[in-house]
Amino acid sequence: MVDFFHAHQAQHYLVLAALLFALGAAGVVLRRNAIIVLMSIELMLNAVNLTFLAFARFPLVANSPMQGGFSQGHAAVFFVIATAAAEAAVGLAIIIAVFRSRTSVNVDEFDSLKL
Amino acid sequence: MAEAVLFYLFAAGVLAGGSQVVLRRNPIYGAVSLVGCFFFLAGIYVLLSAHLIAILQVLVYAGAVMVLFVFVIMLLNLKEEELGELRFTFWKVVGLVAVLATAAVIAWRALGPAYPSTGPARDNAILLAAEGFGGVKAVGRTLYLAAVLPFELTSLLLLVAIVAAVVVAKGKI
Amino acid sequence: MEVSWLHLIPLLPLAGAAVCGLLGKWLPKAWLYAIALVTVLLSFCIGLTGFLRLPEEVPIFHEVAFNWFSAGSLHVDMGFLFDRLSGALTLVVTGVGFLIHVYSVGYMDEDPGYWRYFAYLNLFIAAMLTLVLGDNLVAMFVGWEGVGLCSYLLIGFWYTDEEKAYAGRKAFVVNRIGDVGFLIGIFVLFNATGSVSFAQLGVAPLTLATASIAALCLFIGAIGKSAQLPLYVWLPDAMAGPTPVSALIHAATMVTAGVYMVARMSHLYTSAPGVLALVALVGALTALWAALIGTAQNDIKRVLAYSTVSQLGFMFIGVGVGAFFAGTMHLVTHAFFKACLFLGSGAVIHGLAGEQDLRRMGGLRKYMPQTAWTFAVATVAISGIFPISGFFSKDEILAQALHTKAYDFLTLGPGGPHLTSLGTILYLVGSFTALITSFYMWRCYFLAFEGEYRGPEGVHPHESPGIMTSPLWILAALSVLSLVIGLPEPWVRGSFLEHLNWEHFTGRLFSPPRGGPPAGFSPWPGYLVALAIGWAGFGLAWLLYAPARAASGDDRFAALFPRLRNAFANKFWVDEFYDWLVVRPLWSFARGLWRIFDATIIDGLFINGSAQLVAWVAALARRFQNGDVQRYAAVTALGVLALVYAFLLRSSP
Repeated sequence: MVDFFHAHQAQHYLVLAALLFALGAAGVVLRRNAIIVLMSIELMLNAVNLTFLAFARFPLVANSPMQGGFSQGHAAVFFVIATAAAEAAVGLAIIIAVFRSRTSVNVDEFDSLKL
Repeated sequence: MAEAVLFYLFAAGVLAGGSQVVLRRNPIYGAVSLVGCFFFLAGIYVLLSAHLIAILQVLVYAGAVMVLFVFVIMLLNLKEEELGELRFTFWKVVGLVAVLATAAVIAWRALGPAYPSTGPARDNAILLAAEGFGGVKAVGRTLYLAAVLPFELTSLLLLVAIVAAVVVAKGKI
Repeated sequence: MEVSWLHLIPLLPLAGAAVCGLLGKWLPKAWLYAIALVTVLLSFCIGLTGFLRLPEEVPIFHEVAFNWFSAGSLHVDMGFLFDRLSGALTLVVTGVGFLIHVYSVGYMDEDPGYWRYFAYLNLFIAAMLTLVLGDNLVAMFVGWEGVGLCSYLLIGFWYTDEEKAYAGRKAFVVNRIGDVGFLIGIFVLFNATGSVSFAQLGVAPLTLATASIAALCLFIGAIGKSAQLPLYVWLPDAMAGPTPVSALIHAATMVTAGVYMVARMSHLYTSAPGVLALVALVGALTALWAALIGTAQNDIKRVLAYSTVSQLGFMFIGVGVGAFFAGTMHLVTHAFFKACLFLGSGAVIHGLAGEQDLRRMGGLRKYMPQTAWTFAVATVAISGIFPISGFFSKDEILAQALHTKAYDFLTLGPGGPHLTSLGTILYLVGSFTALITSFYMWRCYFLAFEGEYRGPEGVHPHESPGIMTSPLWILAALSVLSLVIGLPEPWVRGSFLEHLNWEHFTGRLFSPPRGGPPAGFSPWPGYLVALAIGWAGFGLAWLLYAPARAASGDDRFAALFPRLRNAFANKFWVDEFYDWLVVRPLWSFARGLWRIFDATIIDGLFINGSAQLVAWVAALARRFQNGDVQRYAAVTALGVLALVYAFLLRSSP
């Protein structure tokens, strides 16, 4: 098991990211509660972050073609985190506003832009 | 040795926390498991030598963002009957199948021969993280030299998000 | 010599046009007049300075203002070429243009659209100067189209009158036919020589076939612009515009552009002697045709319009026999006396409160002596009576035609007869036309100014204000003075007048025709014949329209040649013929197209059909857009699956 891990390190991280992404996507598709949908989106974003970091650590090529080397992956994760924070703030604000007008947080009831 | 053990431990924690988010009916449990999930994910990041990002994960995600979620959940204070049942419709099944199939395809591809093996034969300099890789200095240099414009734009984005959140949630200003 | 001030000549009137057109409505009248007049006057001054300073050895000023466009091997510069020909024409355009601007201040003062009028007029001057000064065919074409546009705008100036708007449209459409030819000519020349500049086209070796095709296409353009057979029909109708416009655009400058173009492309036309013969033939036929029609017209402006067509025919005879200097010389002198005639007719119309019918004029010499005198001077000039300018310039053309060697080697098919006698035929036709010209111009003068007043009751004919009569006097003086450029060379050899002689002056500008210029011939026989013809025309007019009984002149004429006069009066039914040949079939064709393509295919199939298609697709798509975001997410997941499958598995090595 240990040898298997060391022989396929990158694959381990990537498969973990795929599973995490699938979990998040399943949450988005299945759950009706908008807050949980939003949290599932956070899961998907984190899955993406994990792939960024995995590829930064275990690159497919010897030298990064980009300025900043493989730290570019880390920079990308940094931006994703910032964007996710912004998205969570705005998303939760929208949920509050919608809840105020419809007294519901179920996305399948939000099927019209008009009240 | 320790790396492998820690990876499987953390991965199990991540998946367990993530699945709780999706499966738990009450969002407050989901939020708390998500915090746990993020902590384990931060551990995975450390295994990947992404020390700065791991810290940010804990501070920003597990700290700030999740506090916001919990705050909103408490604020809405949904009653039991308002939580709603999980209903399966045709399209939800289709979506679930598509999602699982996508993950399977990705995993299949990742485990396939295209990605170079990192076995003992390639246990060389690329594998061993360079000195300081993933630290504050290395990532900071990248952020401020190679990606300074997006970095500054991010601050603008956050400002816009703050204003937007206030305007949207406040109702009457 | 490269200079940097040439672009100012067309730019100043253009700036004037911009100011008058954009701000004119809000400017005080005096300011507007000042701007319109001063810009043209400044152009004239610049042109005059340049003209006087032209270097003796290589009398050329040249300026490349900017590179207009480059596409592949085609490089077109906005360049200006100021040599003795284009310089002289610049002076004519700006000089006559300025006088007509002055006249217009009096003529158009009460018109509410005066600011529009002056903007168009200035724009016309700018376009005409571009045409004259352009150093390549494309720049010339810009001016060519620009003057066409201004002509259209000014003919239809009183656009609320349906008939006048129609006349403008007619001029525009007929000119389009010629312009297509002009464009094709440019393409042919560029294809053959890889250049469009006059400097390179002037020396480029051309095969007979290429030269003939290009020359023919360009000449089609000239036929349209200069109102020659068979495209002359727009010019008489163009008289719907204000009279100063007729004087400037449809007599003195724009319509001579075709002659100028042929003279400018003398190398090309001498390389294509067959086309050159065609030019002369078309010119001669047009001259005769229009002159015959002119004998029986009753609208004073139409008489002058047909006489313009006829005189343009003379110019084409001149350039068509290879005597480019003779054609362009007549161009210059004609600009003076025809502008004078038109402005005179404008003064008459002005003084009679809009009356244009010759039958309702008469005896105006008593009421408007200045107009009558200047009109008489210009009539003497156009009828070719010694010694005023028209006599020399017209006779130069006829003499060159008689003695030309341009066609000596042209044969009609293998072994056929040589065309050596073509020049003689042209001479005879031209001389006969000169006789008729003299006749109808004197008829016009007698009917308008002599005899008893037959005008409308209650109208008191009056002389025009000084601002309108002074241009008349200046133009009349120029009509007389311009005779110095036409004096035969032997008469002036050695004196200071030699330098002013047009043949000498433009000596090195034009390519000689294939057979070389005519050998030294005595001008005397031609002069005597021409003099006799000029007086004969006057005599004929006197016989029929003598002042005492001018009113019944038309009846006497009709009694002499009833059928002929009827044909002349109806303009040989050319308009009706074109209407039957082109306009009506086009109308029916267009109506059919409208029914089939517009109503059925475009409206029915494309417009309503596409709307119905969209509505149908939308009805279908609406089923998917039910607002359930999770269904959207599921479909998106399906799409992602497809993409991931395609990218990751199908493309794997």
